[in-house]
Amino acid sequence: MFSGGATTCARSRRVLRSCILAVIFLLAAGSAFAAEEKVIKIGALFPLTGPAAVSGQNCLAAVQTAADIINGKYDFADFPLASKEGLLDGYRIEIVPGDHQGKPDVAKSEAERLFNQENVFAIIGSYNSSASKPASAVAERLKKIFMCGASSSAELTERGFNYFFRTAATDNIESREFIDYIDYLNKNEGAGIKTLGLLYENSEFGKHAAEEGKSVAAGIGLEVVADVPFTVGATNMSSEVQTLKSANPDAVFGAALGSDYSLMVRTMKQTSWAPKIFINYCTGYQNPSINKELGSDGNFFMGGMGYSPEIAEVYMKAALPAQEIYRAKTGFPLDSDSIQESVCLHVLAQAIEKAGAVDTEKVAALLRSETFPSPLSLSGQVAFSPGGQNNKAFTVITQIVDQKYRTVFPESYADSELTYPFPAWDKR
Amino acid sequence: MAESVCSRPSNGGTILADFSQVLIDGLMNGAIYALVAAGLSLIWGVMDVINFAHGEFLMVAMYACYWLGSLLGIDPLFSWVLTGAFLFFLSAASYLLVVRRCIGRSAMAPLLATFGLSIFLKNFCLNRFTPNFRLLSGTIMEGRVLHVMGASVPLPQLVTALFSLVVLGCLYYFIKRTRIGWAIQATAMDREAAELMGIDTGRIFTLVFGFGGMCVGIAGGFMTSYLAVFPEVGALFSLIAFVVVALGGFGSIPGALLAALLIGLVESFAGFYIAPVIKYVAVFALYVVVILIRPKGLFGW
Repeated sequence: MFSGGATTCARSRRVLRSCILAVIFLLAAGSAFAAEEKVIKIGALFPLTGPAAVSGQNCLAAVQTAADIINGKYDFADFPLASKEGLLDGYRIEIVPGDHQGKPDVAKSEAERLFNQENVFAIIGSYNSSASKPASAVAERLKKIFMCGASSSAELTERGFNYFFRTAATDNIESREFIDYIDYLNKNEGAGIKTLGLLYENSEFGKHAAEEGKSVAAGIGLEVVADVPFTVGATNMSSEVQTLKSANPDAVFGAALGSDYSLMVRTMKQTSWAPKIFINYCTGYQNPSINKELGSDGNFFMGGMGYSPEIAEVYMKAALPAQEIYRAKTGFPLDSDSIQESVCLHVLAQAIEKAGAVDTEKVAALLRSETFPSPLSLSGQVAFSPGGQNNKAFTVITQIVDQKYRTVFPESYADSELTYPFPAWDKR
Repeated sequence: MAESVCSRPSNGGTILADFSQVLIDGLMNGAIYALVAAGLSLIWGVMDVINFAHGEFLMVAMYACYWLGSLLGIDPLFSWVLTGAFLFFLSAASYLLVVRRCIGRSAMAPLLATFGLSIFLKNFCLNRFTPNFRLLSGTIMEGRVLHVMGASVPLPQLVTALFSLVVLGCLYYFIKRTRIGWAIQATAMDREAAELMGIDTGRIFTLVFGFGGMCVGIAGGFMTSYLAVFPEVGALFSLIAFVVVALGGFGSIPGALLAALLIGLVESFAGFYIAPVIKYVAVFALYVVVILIRPKGLFGW
C-alpha cells in the first residue's frame, strides 16, 4: 500500500514535472514565434510630461495615426502605403514611446534606451529643438536614423549629420517669409512697419529663432528696438510685455510655447498693448487646444503654418481622412507641428518599402537621394538636402480671425484679407 | 488688407508711467507670492517639515476652481471659499495619511513622502485632465483694467493681491491672538513642553497642515481668474515660495509677506530696468545675499 502510494506520488511528480517542462517549452516556443513576428520598432521621443506635454502628446498621437495608416488597409486617395497592409512582405510598424519631459539630458538617455534596450530601428522626435539636438547626436553616433518633425532650430540641420532628417520648415525659412511679408505690406499696402521687437523663450529654439529674425530684419532695414528673451514657465510676463510696450515696436516676432503663449496673450490684453502686427514662429499659436481656451483673445495674432484644417480643405484634401483618425485619438484636428511627425513616419516607411529591407544604410541612402510624395505636406513632397533639411518645406502666413486660421500670404494661397493693424483690445 | 475697426492704442511709454507700472506689478506679484508661501512657511516653521507637494496643492486648487467655474458656473470671486475648504481637508488628510507616519523619523522621511505625494498629484491630474492648458473664461473680473498714474492695473491680479493681504492679516491675527494660535506657537517652540502643558500636538499638526493647504487653496482659487491651469503650473510658484519662506524666516507670516513683496519688486524692477530674462536670476541672487548675511532669514526665530 505504502510503496504503491509512493509510486503514485513519484508518478504524479513526474507528470507535474513534465507539465511544467511542457509549459516552459510552449512559452519559449511562443516567445520565439513572437520574436519572428515581423515588426519594425520605431521610437517616438517627445515631451509627454512637463511644460510642453500638450504638444508632445499631440505629436505622439500623430505618429500613431501614421502607424495606423501604414499597418492597416485604407482606401485613401493619393496616400502612399495606405492601400496595403503593413510594409515589405508583412512587416508592421510598432511605436515605442519615450518621454524626455522637455529636458535635453533626459532626451539623450531616452534615445540611448530606445536604441540599446528597445532596439528601435529609428527615432522620430523630439519637438523641443533643445531635446532633438542631444537625442539626434546619440543616433548619429550609433549610425541610426533620426527623423525630426517639428523642431525648427535651423542649427539642427547645419551640423552635417548623415542620419538626421527634418521635415518641417526651419526658423530661418519662417523668418524670411515673415520679412518678405512685411516688405510686401510696406511696399504694396503702405503699412509703415519700421521697427521690430522679439519676444522669445530663452531656449535653443527661442534664441535661434530670434537670431534668424534679427539677421533677416536687417535686410529690409527693419530696426530691432526690443530684444526680449524670457524664462520658460514664468509665473508672470509683466516685465516682458512692459518692456515691449515701452519700446513700442511696429511688429513683433514671437516664440513662446504652451502656457507661456497664453500668459503672453493675456498679459498683452491686461496691459492694453499690441504692436501693429504680431507674427509667431512654430509656437503655442499653432496649437488648436490653446487657441480654443484663449477664445476671442487669440484673434488677430499671426503665425507661419505648414498645415491648418482650413488650408487642408483647399490644398491638402488627401490629408483630411488622416485628420479624422487623429481627431478620434485627441479630439482636435491635426496641427502644424504634430503633422510633421506623421510626415516623418510616412516618409521613413516609404524609404523602407523602397529599400526592400529593414536596413539602416540602404534606407538612409534613399532618404538622402529620393523625393517622396507626401500628402500631409503643403508642397506635397519631401526631399532632404545634405545635413537633412527638407528642401521642399515651406509655410504660409495665417491670421486667426473668429478663432479660425485664415491664410493671408503668399497671395497664391491667401483666402482672407489681413486685419491690420492689430485692433485695440478694448474695442474688439 | 482690411483696416481694423479702430486705430492702434497709443503708447504710454513715459518714464513715470513705466515706473508706476513696474512698481504696481511688483507689489501685486509679491502679494500673491506671499499668500502662496504663507502656508509653506507655517508648515515649515511649526513642524519643521518641507512640504514638497505645496506647488501641486496650488495646482489642485486651480483645477478645482476651474471645474467649479466651467461646470457649475461659480466665479472665482466666490469659489475661493470652496477651494480653500477643499484644500484644507486635502492637506489635513495628506498629513494624517502620509506625513504623520514620517514625523519623528529621519529628516529625509517627510521630505521624500511629500515629494512622492507631489508626483502622485501631478500625474493624477495629467492622467485625468490631460496636459491641456485650461483658461477660465467669462469670469466677472475678466478683461477689467484700472488705470492708475498711467499704469494699467488688471483687476483679477489686483483683487488677488488685496485678498492675499487680507488672508495674511487674518492668519497673523489667528496665530498671535487666539488660543489655538498660541498652541501652534507653543508647539513650534517646543513640542514636548507643549504636550506637557496639555496641548494635543498631533491635532495641532493636522490643523497646521490644513491651514497651509487652505492658504494655497485660496491663492489658487483667485489665480485661476487670470492664469492657465495645467499640471505643471505649480512648479515655479513653489520654487519661489521656498525662497520666500527661507528669506522671510521659517514660520514668520510678516517675514513671508515682506520677503514676498521684496521678491516681487526685485523681479519686476530687474525684469524691466535690466532685462526680463534675468528677473529670476535677480530673485535668487537676492536670496543668496540675504542668507549669507542672515542665515535665519529676515524674521527667523
